Formats: sequence, C-alpha cells, structure tokens
Amino acid sequence: MSPYGSVFRDETKLDINYVPHKLPHRDAELHLLKEFFSFILKTPSKMTQRVIITGKVGAGKTVLSQRFGADITREAGKHGINLRYAHVNCREYRGSLFLILHHVVSVFHPNFPRRGYSAEELLRILLQILDEENAYVILALDEFESLVEREGSDAVYKLTRVHEARQDKPQRLSFVCILRNLKITERLDASTRSTLQSNIINLDGYSKRQLKDILDDRVFLAFKPSTVPEDTVDSTAELAFAQGGNARFGIELLWRAGKYADAEDLGTVIPECVRKAVSSVYPLMRKSELATLSLHEKLLLLGIARFFKESQNAYVSLAEAEKAYAVACEEFSAQPHGHTQLWKHLQMLSAFGIVETKVSAAGSRGRSTLISLPRISAYELEKELCALLGHTKT
Amino acid sequence: MNIEQVLGSKLRVKILKILAQVGELNVSEIARRLGVNYSTTKNHLKILEGENILRHKEFGRIRLYRLNENSPKAKAVQKLMEAWEHANKHKTTLYFNKRGLRLIKEERGN
Repeated sequence: MSPYGSVFRDETKLDINYVPHKLPHRDAELHLLKEFFSFILKTPSKMTQRVIITGKVGAGKTVLSQRFGADITREAGKHGINLRYAHVNCREYRGSLFLILHHVVSVFHPNFPRRGYSAEELLRILLQILDEENAYVILALDEFESLVEREGSDAVYKLTRVHEARQDKPQRLSFVCILRNLKITERLDASTRSTLQSNIINLDGYSKRQLKDILDDRVFLAFKPSTVPEDTVDSTAELAFAQGGNARFGIELLWRAGKYADAEDLGTVIPECVRKAVSSVYPLMRKSELATLSLHEKLLLLGIARFFKESQNAYVSLAEAEKAYAVACEEFSAQPHGHTQLWKHLQMLSAFGIVETKVSAAGSRGRSTLISLPRISAYELEKELCALLGHTKT
Repeated sequence: MNIEQVLGSKLRVKILKILAQVGELNVSEIARRLGVNYSTTKNHLKILEGENILRHKEFGRIRLYRLNENSPKAKAVQKLMEAWEHANKHKTTLYFNKRGLRLIKEERGN
C-alpha cells in the first residue's frame, strides 16, 4: 500500500484535449477573435468570416480556437442562435475535404453514409442541413496545411466562396484556419489567398514567465496541493521555453513527471522526475558523446549529477558544484582544477547541451552562476559517468 | 394496413428495432444490417412510411429514414422496443443473480 497515494488530483487537466476556462496570456488574442466574429451574435445570416491563426507548435493556437468556440457557442445559445463550432484536425482526416466535410455533417446526422457522393455534393448537403435547421457553423480547420497540401487551391476556394452561389440565402459557414506559418498559403491562388488572409492572428511562442503562469494554473488543477514544488515548475518552464515556448510540451512533461513520482511513490514531483520525464522524451545523451568529455569535465558533471541525486533542488550553484567536484576528484585520485579552469569546463558542458547555466538575480551576496541538469536523469548520468571513469582509472 | 399486417413481417420489426436504436440510417445501411438486398429494404421502408411510422429526409441522392416522432404509432413502437429491451436486460440480470446464488451455495456445500 502506497504511503502517499497519487500526486494527481485530476490528471485529465493535463490532457492534450483539455480546454481550460482561462487562457493565461492569450486574453488579447481571444478578445480579437471574438471581435472578428461578433456579427454572429447580432446578424448571423448577413455575413461570414474567415480568420487565420498562426504560431509555432505549443503556442496555444488550438486551445485558443477551442476556447473561443465554446464561449461563442454558449453566447449564441443565450441569444437563441443555433451556432455550432466544429473543430477538425485536417491531418487526422488526411487532408481530405470529403472526410472533413463528412465530420461536420456527422455533427448533425451522426449516421450519415460515407459513400455515394462527392465533396462538392457534401458541401451542398451541409448547407441544406444548415438551412433546414436554421443553424450556423464555425468550422475550425486545424493543421490547415494538410488540406492545402492534399487538395490544393481548389478545395479552399470552394469552401471559402461557397456562399457566392447562394446570394439571396442566409450565410451560414465561417472558418478559422489554424496553421504554423503562412508559407503554405503561397500555394493558393491569388484570389483564394486574398479571401483568406484578411484577418490573421499570429501567436508568438510563450516567454519563460508566461509558461510558468500556464504551468502554475495546470498544477493547481491537476495536482494535489503541495505536491509540485516551485523548482519543478521552474525547470519545466525552462525546458518548454527551450522548445520554442511550447506550452504543450511543458504540460505533457508535467504529466509524465507526475507519473514518475507516482511510480516511485515519492509523494512529490521533484525536479529529478522532470529530468527522467524529459530523458524519456528525448533519448539520453549518447554514451559516445559522454566519452568524448575530458576527465575533469566528467568529474565536474559527476559532482553535479550527485548533487541533484541527493537534492530536490532544480539548480546547483557553481560553488556547490565545485565542492561536489572536489569530492569526485578525491574519489578518482585527480588533482582538482582551479575555479577559472572549472568555469571553462562548465561552459563546455553547457555548449554540449548537457547542463544549462543561468546567472542568479543579484542577492545580498551578489550574483552567482546556477547550473541545472534539465534533460538527463541524475541517476542515469551518474551510472554512465562512473562506468566511464572506472575505465579511465584502469 | 392493420397492426398484424404491419408488424407481422420479421424484417419490418427489425427495421423498427434498428431505427429505434440508432436514430436514422440510409437505405443501403439498413439493407446491410438486415442482410437483405436494397429493393426489398426499400419496399419495407415504403410500407412503414405509408403507415406514418417512419419518415425520411433527402440529401441529394441520400435518403435518411427515422421513426416519425410526430406519429402516435411510431411513439408506441419506440415504447414497445424500450420496454422489450428493458425486460430482457432485467431477465438476464435475474438469471445471472440466480446462477450466482446457486454457485455460491454449491461452493459453500463443498
């Protein structure tokens, strides 16, 4: 029987499909998106809209669109407007216009047959259904690139200009196109591009501070109180920042770290759990790369690994690392190098991407260098280094 | 048609059962589930629609059939299907409870 139980309160809050009620640091973009579609709450049948959301992986494109979809659908319901938000990942449907439209039709008729008609017919059928049900759809085309790659300009043209052939009828189909960058739109012909590109929301990758806020929110929702120390959130935020400000990466890492904490029955998600989690995502540094380090680089790294093995901190100061290095030198009968030389070794380890360094904020005793071991489990690293140093000794 | 004529056909009862379960289906899919050909299915659907028990919607060449929620006959059919399903489930639960009790008794006897 576990003495602690799980660190999770509700791990579904770390799921990729979870849409939080609050989107930290995306208020302005959410507001802008709602502005673009504000007509739907006043005169839904008079116009349609097309918006592009761009941004790197993990910049919050999908979650922004889904939050917007849920909010505007609820608002429309209050106004007595039958609005549906359909979120389709184009890649999941292999970029096929037919399958994407079939998904939308299935929202209204779940058993709609999959055969016997073309994508164009299906588009007409969708509009017929919307007319009959007096409904409106905002269709979010996530991973829009897949649709353009597979179907080309024609499909996008048909979708975005579908209302031109029905001038006197209510307009019912709006779009949110979600893609990483606008380069793919160069494949579209000029008229399709101009139809699409009037409203663009570009999301920059999150900053370290913003990532920390996002992770703090998720920790509150997903974990039991006091099971995730601030250091763990800090180091996860740094790793996510290093991935181009990828919040999704950080959230998944937190979940994985929680699983490691549970598996080892720690009761707390210590930074070592994050290191294990990240080394399970990225393969541990190849042994051959560790072997190319000099003896003193290895010894310094061993000292750092041992510090993290014993400590639950995410950072070790250079002074503490130096002490641990001295102990390792004694163990392997090596004469310790001086501070300046050690600093150079640290820079080398940092250049290899094994450790990361940052300068601490000025405190009462001035600034100092803080070292973290973000991607490698301290336990595994110590094991590898001892094996290598054992050979060196003999 | 009177009730015994309408519900006297096994296929028509099966159609009603399928539609009561899944909501709506096109002709080919109903035929596939019945394991009979398209035209036979279409004939039975026509009879049920003629009795106002079913209705259909057309989307281009696609016809989706469903129980006619405005028809008292369709409502009665829906209730009959549900009651039948419920009774069968109840019967199964009773059977397993009795069997379970018998097994426990046997085990204790041993």
